[in-house]
Amino acid sequence: MAEFGILGPLRALMGLSLILSGLLAFAAPLDKNPFPSTYVAPASPDTAIIGATILTGDGGEISPGYVVIRDGRITAMGEGALPAAEKGIARVIDGHGRWLTPGIIDVHSHLGNYASPSYAGTSDGNEATAPVTAKVWTEHSVWPQDPQFPLALAGGVTTLQILPGSANLIGGRSVVLKNVSSRTVQGMKFPDAPYGLKMACGENPKRVYGKKGGPSTRMGNVAGYRASWIKAAAYAEKWEKYDRDMIAYNESLTKKTRKKDKVEEPTAPERDLEMDTLRGVLDGEILVHNHCYRADEMAQMIDVSKEFGYQITSFQHAVESYKIADLLAENGICSAMWADWTRFKLESFDGIDENVALVDKAQACAIVHSDSPWGIQRLNQEAAKAMAAGNRMGMTISGAHAMQWLTINPAKSLGIEQQTGSISVSKMADLVLWSADPFSVYSRPEKVMIDGVLVLDQVTGLKPVTDFELGLGGKTL
Amino acid sequence: MSYLLRHLRVTFPALITTLLFALPSMAADILVENARLVTGTSQGILTGASLLVRDGRIVSIAAQGRPKGMAASAEVVNADGAYVTAGFFDSSTTVGLLEVGGGIDNRDYELRGTDMGAGFQVSLGLNRFSSLIPMMRVQGVTRALVRPNAKSSNIAGQSAIVGLAGKPGMIMRDNNAVFVDLTEKASQFSGGSRAKAITDLLDALDEAALYSKNTAAYQSGDLRELRQSERDLKALLPIIQGMKPLAIHIDRAADIETILHQLDPYNLKLIVIGGREAWKVAPMLVAQKVPVIVNPLDNLPSSFDQIGARLDNAALLVKAGVMVAFMTEDVFTESRSLTQAAGVAVAYGLAWQDGVNAMTINPAIIWGIDKSYGALAPGRVADVLVWDGDPLEVTSRPTKIMIDGEWMSPETRQTLLRDRYADLKKGNTTFGYR
Repeated sequence: MAEFGILGPLRALMGLSLILSGLLAFAAPLDKNPFPSTYVAPASPDTAIIGATILTGDGGEISPGYVVIRDGRITAMGEGALPAAEKGIARVIDGHGRWLTPGIIDVHSHLGNYASPSYAGTSDGNEATAPVTAKVWTEHSVWPQDPQFPLALAGGVTTLQILPGSANLIGGRSVVLKNVSSRTVQGMKFPDAPYGLKMACGENPKRVYGKKGGPSTRMGNVAGYRASWIKAAAYAEKWEKYDRDMIAYNESLTKKTRKKDKVEEPTAPERDLEMDTLRGVLDGEILVHNHCYRADEMAQMIDVSKEFGYQITSFQHAVESYKIADLLAENGICSAMWADWTRFKLESFDGIDENVALVDKAQACAIVHSDSPWGIQRLNQEAAKAMAAGNRMGMTISGAHAMQWLTINPAKSLGIEQQTGSISVSKMADLVLWSADPFSVYSRPEKVMIDGVLVLDQVTGLKPVTDFELGLGGKTL
Repeated sequence: MSYLLRHLRVTFPALITTLLFALPSMAADILVENARLVTGTSQGILTGASLLVRDGRIVSIAAQGRPKGMAASAEVVNADGAYVTAGFFDSSTTVGLLEVGGGIDNRDYELRGTDMGAGFQVSLGLNRFSSLIPMMRVQGVTRALVRPNAKSSNIAGQSAIVGLAGKPGMIMRDNNAVFVDLTEKASQFSGGSRAKAITDLLDALDEAALYSKNTAAYQSGDLRELRQSERDLKALLPIIQGMKPLAIHIDRAADIETILHQLDPYNLKLIVIGGREAWKVAPMLVAQKVPVIVNPLDNLPSSFDQIGARLDNAALLVKAGVMVAFMTEDVFTESRSLTQAAGVAVAYGLAWQDGVNAMTINPAIIWGIDKSYGALAPGRVADVLVWDGDPLEVTSRPTKIMIDGEWMSPETRQTLLRDRYADLKKGNTTFGYR
């Protein structure tokens, strides 16, 4: 579904300026990746998984089928038995009577930045000191020893986006992680995944800042976003002018220039962490994930995005997306939704069980997300509930189709769909072998692979144990 | 004389029953046939069975075909082989006590900044017209325990058992138990120490005993001053007499041991609520016959009280012989679905029938209503669910819901919203007129 990957004309123009400034990196050194991923998948034996019912994650179903994995990537797949050429492969996993799906991707998680146990000391999700904190990067809050990570893995989650909380109008950068055991956050970072920016509508910012200088109303919220984008546009312009001046200056150095035409070396504008991130959005490099519940507010945010020329990649929670599914389809915006949460605050009062199915029906991008350390352990069940709700109102949603809500659609909204999110040749072997149909409550991930590495196996008892869990006498399942 | 007494004994409850269920008795017989009947009794699961309802009660069950004595005018519902179960019971919820989770000022299930204890009676705040009630009902929950939540005192107050038909007489058992919270988080109400919270509870019980023995002196002002109000003291009387249960919200295994030990001399009827680490002390719970109300979905080590939380807690407890029932705790989000919670418990080792029992006969026994509820059997109240699949599957929902012998409407506020926006293109595009 290219509709939510297409750049607007303005973004294309800005993308061009980005390329130009990239060429001049020597002149304006701005390290856009100061905390690079150090994740490298360990070596794993070449593997074939045979006999399973495969839900490909992009809508397909192959039953039974095989998947071949070499060097952590899917190198072959198809219906029926393993081709003769692939026989003799180092490891064969028998999937008869089981279901194989891509690893689940949760686009909305706070694992690590709201870790367990939940105390003030582990509360690192909201920099609730000012309504706009685009300067913060949530990867600096993530605790890789959060015992919730292995629990999510036991639910088949192989990739997850950690977002800042929703206290702020603009909460900061997200980070996309592979759900692997690591001593450092850098060791979990999904290589080359774009950054996201968390924005929040509605009740949370006005509640948090209502008595702390504002905003205290929804109109105050919108004024806050607009003021920030005005500053960001000016900041971007300053840097673009500097880049242009630098080109002229560099050219002047290589040419014989008359004295009166001599170009002075431009001074770089002062860097501003907050503005760097917002500029990244305007340049189309950083994806906007906007926490927003109500239909009317989503429509307002779409207009704000048009006013300043950025794309909203996803609305998060989006409990009223079903009311404006046409508008969301038209604007190529994903909705990341719960299956059935409702009424836990006023702006979620109109949440209905058919939200996901109705968004999907309108051919808008539908994602089932968790925003919960409990829900992340059973996103397959959440998708099953959403599918069943749609089917009860007369739709005919298959499991193969609904699986997209957990795999390829989330991958697209994170900008990693070339790498993962479906079972297809050349993609990362991020896979889950389920004990039964994943849309059954009784189904459990029996084996989970990340980049071809077996990271969880219920049969042998293989699973990661965080430092935190050691010696505490508990045994979590 | 003796004849009269015996007669009165028989007819008085019968008279009350008749009054309570007089209204639905106007309806004709209802037969649900061709059912996969999950009886919850020694009859087990019957396929091709039927169930006859009259005057709000189940009058007979036929393992095959139709039962005898059915009125010719009976309404016949063919279940087409579908699962038919008793209505499900949620053993701890706040339905009817709030409309929206957050951002509103009052929550009628909890007190802030008052020193009221056991005397707090949540039933007085119940709203039988709450639009949340139909939302719970369509998920198969027909009865529930509504509980107080500790927010300013470890002794939270008194719960009630309610029916979810949304009709008058919603409260079935008022003040049926006293709830106490002795978790880590609630220790803030007792000087920041759970040790003090336990001694506070013992003191409160001792005071109630003192009050009970010296009521006249108390009322004439001749007894020493007591910490609790008379209303609080009175609420504790049936607890210390062992007539009503004391429901203790507690998770940490060591705390369960300490509290069971400390309360042993009091001969109370105890129920553990939560019990995230109860599996570790299952033998003690069995020995003291203490049931546990579990939220099967909560396996997070979210506090040092819950480090041992796990998804097979219910399975381990049942295996050890502990009586287990399920609760959702949260009406809105994480564990909205009681049946999903039961399904997860089954996925993690609980037998399927035990999963059903934890929402039917077990809570009925634990809360003392098992003579009339919790199973499909002649004489019991007709709370009946017809399902479109395995009731514990996340993809299943009841297709028909009967409470007190009457079919409930499938309509909820949510279905009205759904129908208004089901097709954005067809119909009046000014949606307010749809």
